[in-house]
Amino acid sequence: MKIVRVNMTNLSVKTEEVPQKWANLGGRALTSAIVAQEVDPVCHPLGKKNKLVFAPGILSGTAAPNSGRMSVGAKSPLTGGIKESNSGGSAAQKLARLGIKALIIEGLPEQGKYYSLHLSKDEAKLQEETDLVGKGNYEVIDTLSRRHGKNIGVITIGQAGEYKMLAANISIKDYHGYIRSAGRGGLGAVMASKGLKYITLDDTGTPPVPIAEPEKFRQAAKTFAQALKEHPVTGQGLPTYGTNVLVNIINEAGGLPTQNFRRGRFAGANKISGETMYEYITTRKGKPTHNCHAGCVISCSQVYNDESGNFVTAGFEYETIWGFGAVCCVDDLDIIAQADRICDDIGIDTIETAVAIATAMEGGVLPFGDGQKMLAILEEIKKGTYLGRIIGCGASVTGKVFGVSRVAVVKDQAIPAYDPRAVKGQGVTYATTPMGADHTAGYAVTSNILNVGGHVGPLAKEGNIELSKNLQIATAGIDSAGLCVFVAFSMLDKPEAMDAVNQLLEAISGKEFTYDHMLGLGRFVLKTEIDFNRAAGLTEVSDRLPEFFEEEIPPHNTTWDFTPDELQQVFADLKEEVKSPPAEVWMAPEDEPRTRPTVELH
Amino acid sequence: MKLEVHLFAGLFCNNEELDCFGETDFEMEVPENTTLNELVKLLNLELPYELIYMINGKRCDKSYCLKDKDRVGIFPPIGGG
Ligand code: SF4
Repeated sequence: MKIVRVNMTNLSVKTEEVPQKWANLGGRALTSAIVAQEVDPVCHPLGKKNKLVFAPGILSGTAAPNSGRMSVGAKSPLTGGIKESNSGGSAAQKLARLGIKALIIEGLPEQGKYYSLHLSKDEAKLQEETDLVGKGNYEVIDTLSRRHGKNIGVITIGQAGEYKMLAANISIKDYHGYIRSAGRGGLGAVMASKGLKYITLDDTGTPPVPIAEPEKFRQAAKTFAQALKEHPVTGQGLPTYGTNVLVNIINEAGGLPTQNFRRGRFAGANKISGETMYEYITTRKGKPTHNCHAGCVISCSQVYNDESGNFVTAGFEYETIWGFGAVCCVDDLDIIAQADRICDDIGIDTIETAVAIATAMEGGVLPFGDGQKMLAILEEIKKGTYLGRIIGCGASVTGKVFGVSRVAVVKDQAIPAYDPRAVKGQGVTYATTPMGADHTAGYAVTSNILNVGGHVGPLAKEGNIELSKNLQIATAGIDSAGLCVFVAFSMLDKPEAMDAVNQLLEAISGKEFTYDHMLGLGRFVLKTEIDFNRAAGLTEVSDRLPEFFEEEIPPHNTTWDFTPDELQQVFADLKEEVKSPPAEVWMAPEDEPRTRPTVELH
Repeated sequence: MKLEVHLFAGLFCNNEELDCFGETDFEMEVPENTTLNELVKLLNLELPYELIYMINGKRCDKSYCLKDKDRVGIFPPIGGG
């Protein structure tokens, strides 16, 4: 395995050996370790000192189920802190098969020029791009699939990225040709600042990813797949209804943020629910069950068609539907699907954009519930009008521009689809994760609402600090393995699933890997990220929810009542800890050279 | 006493003898002191895995003794994120 380093200042592509200390890392652990080592925490996120890092997970490219996740890291222009955003699609598997442990994009090209990067077994080619500049993701993917064949892997930015909007995402083609996104934190703007419009990945003729103990790996992969299929959530709920099955249960629990986080129940919930969506999809000949990468055995994704049976969008997620639905008071699933399609095409985070629109509704720019005006604003983002640029920079900027104080963000990143007053473990995660408000960083909804991995009450404080902390540590490990976070439903309930993951990691590396090592890896990741954030100026003061969460939220009339001191308990021990985690066998000593000598690829 | 019942994600009243047979959202009369467990049996919802029960938006276990005007939400195991 190697590191590929692309310097956009002198337009060179070099390969490097992987330093020993990073040899066993992958995914989030690797992107965060590289960003922490190589990026000045106080640099401008869109300047020459920031770097954009892509890393497949440790298990990506193998036959391990659900292991095709790719992490993307950089200093975030949205939060000002470290960012790891991960995505499905086929890029992780292709990078891994190309033997690329990490792809680092650094430097800045001549102003206004765009380039493409093509990586295959035999070449790494950086070329000026003009044809596809200004084009949306669907056109980019279609053109590149025609040019290179339908198996080509594509990582691209749309117009939102080109405008360097703070909510711009990075889009990844899945193996059906649809779009998945490394959605959060404005990484599309960082890719644009590097002058990179797209990356194509051709893994034709590559050897398999090396596995130290193939037979053990095969057995563990089988056991893991079985455990995922047997668990009712990963084997039945997610494949049938997708993530949008959550609308009704979160609504019932009083935690579905409605009308810019005023209420926890939405009168139109049933109209936008997973059950209604399933009915639409099946009667309109879409696909209720679909996966974002080969080897995913859960298949939570789907293909959503319009009334005439024409394709509208794929990978239509709960958070998107909540965002363009409940929080903006829009109860028309077809309008929400249009919104998702536009966001995928222009390459912008749906959560950030939806909360920005709700904030604009709060500020009187458009009325709550006006779906057509909402779509019109998305078109303005595409055109890059002044209003479009404001909304495209996310909820925090929108709130400042329109004089709104009710702005649901942490570290300037929009709060997603679970109200922190009614799902308190989730609130602790929003406040304390180094990522800014990110639901996946420590998905306490499991124990708060879904009856997975034990029960911790969602409405009182008890147990929620510990719950969020443990989930954040375990998730950082899972994100590093390259596993889709939904495997956690099975891992939390089934010891054999947890064991199988440890076995997979042991078999790929040939080194002992236990649950303690997984936690060690997670702690290492979080410690690295927290330290970067502190150096970037995101101190404890940033670990807060906005003050309007002191208001009660109906129907349970609960408030956000954690004190700053209580929140500091989440990572108190991590902050003291030295960087070297208990998983020494997985980490190398700290005295490695900062960068290895580089060799030219050509 | 009267209950407001909502069944989700594929669940429906599966007792042919009840007026609400096949329905997912309905009101129904049950005798005082009926437990959630008895309601689940009455609606013929029993499945090989544990269901998720919410009374008035709060998680509850099957031994809960229902009260007049309770809003009952029942879900199969589901997840997302
Ligand atoms: S479960 Fe869903 S998000 Fe996860 S890998 Fe499968 S399709 Fe992708």
